[in-house]
Amino acid sequence: MIAVIGLVVGVVAGLALQPTVPAELQPYLPIAVVAALDAIFGGVRAMLDGIFDDRVFLISFLSNVIVAALIVFLGDQLGVGSQLSTAVVVVLGIRIFSNAASIRRHLFKA
Amino acid sequence: MTTRHARSDLAGRRPDASMTLLTEVSSSSLDEGYALVARRRAAGLEPAPRATSRVLTAVVAAAVGLALCAAALALHQPTASAQKAREVLESRIVERNDEVAALQGEIEDLDAQITALQSALAGSASDRLDPGPAVTVAAGQVAVSGPGLRVELADAQGSDPDAPDDDSRVQDVDLQVVVNGLWQAGAEAVAINGQRITSTTAIRSAGSAVLVDLVPLSGPYRVEAVGNAVTLQTGLARSSAGDLLTALRTTYGIGVDVSRQDSLEVPRAAPVTLRYARVPDDELPPALQPTPAPTSAAAPTAPPASASAAGPSAPGRPVSASRARVAVSATQVADTQRSSPTGPGEDRS
Repeated sequence: MIAVIGLVVGVVAGLALQPTVPAELQPYLPIAVVAALDAIFGGVRAMLDGIFDDRVFLISFLSNVIVAALIVFLGDQLGVGSQLSTAVVVVLGIRIFSNAASIRRHLFKA
Repeated sequence: MTTRHARSDLAGRRPDASMTLLTEVSSSSLDEGYALVARRRAAGLEPAPRATSRVLTAVVAAAVGLALCAAALALHQPTASAQKAREVLESRIVERNDEVAALQGEIEDLDAQITALQSALAGSASDRLDPGPAVTVAAGQVAVSGPGLRVELADAQGSDPDAPDDDSRVQDVDLQVVVNGLWQAGAEAVAINGQRITSTTAIRSAGSAVLVDLVPLSGPYRVEAVGNAVTLQTGLARSSAGDLLTALRTTYGIGVDVSRQDSLEVPRAAPVTLRYARVPDDELPPALQPTPAPTSAAAPTAPPASASAAGPSAPGRPVSASRARVAVSATQVADTQRSSPTGPGEDRS
């Protein structure tokens, strides 16, 4: 729960401060955001399942983002950046969908 | 993974064996860490979180939230800047368009001034300054209307617009030959798509466009000649242009339509400017001399000051002189290959 509160505080601070991202990191942002979304959906589902844990949430969040950015970086170096981005988006997209479906079952019992 | 495969081999092929990747991804969508920690907590193995780790968690979470927000903002940014760049470009286009319109207005004003000054000059000077209709018509300095012949040339049908075949398009050479044939047949004024042809007009091609007097034209090309329609038609048919028109129609499939017209309107050409020629002061007609001079001083052989209006075909010289030259190049054209890149335009200049 502390992690969620911290996350909300961070987002509010970001909206207020309007920080800028270094140009070198720009190509990895879209994938990083998708990975972060996956972690957030996973966290919400875990919370509804009653097994949420701050530490697991944060570590999964950070590792998701870092691995996704790393895959894109590697793909860029190998010349298959767009294909690897597509692969990451497909896998994370499926996970987001199934987590969202699970959340929906929890909330609406349907 | 291997154990699972082994099990599936034992139980026979699973119905969704070809989709193991998709099943894997969707069935294990929740991070297994949650279940693991929950099991350990249930077993009493997980120690209660200490205060420092709670603070650390909050700080890291806040940092992650900040980074996420920054990423989202940065992703949103480029569209805004692209929008801005687009607006700048749009305003620049509008600005330049206004500039072009203003300059075109200026050109029209100056043209009107030149015409007014020339007519004032002609009015103030003696009648000799007026070169007469034959000269001004030949030089293309007046709009002309009357009966005549219209030759329409259209690119061959069915040719792929993306990969145009040079032979199936109307080329500058074709238009040159037709125009020369019309001059030869006795045309008094000729225009292509409203562009008046004079002795200094070039018909050239630039890429796939045909330039007449540096104005790009597109098909179908309407060559209009004012003159005796019957003479024009028979003359054109007898000249080398007639052979070319037949060849264009039959061999290349280019649409050729020759029709007699009762009334054609041919606009005037751009005003001719003198670049080098000067009238000596003592030869100026009396009306133009700065100091009053004896009226008889004007030599009858003096070239009229408005020779400028007559352009390259000098007044007094038969108008057909320039046509004779054109007619020569028309016969040359008949010899040149149709696909040769250099037209007789070079020969004419």
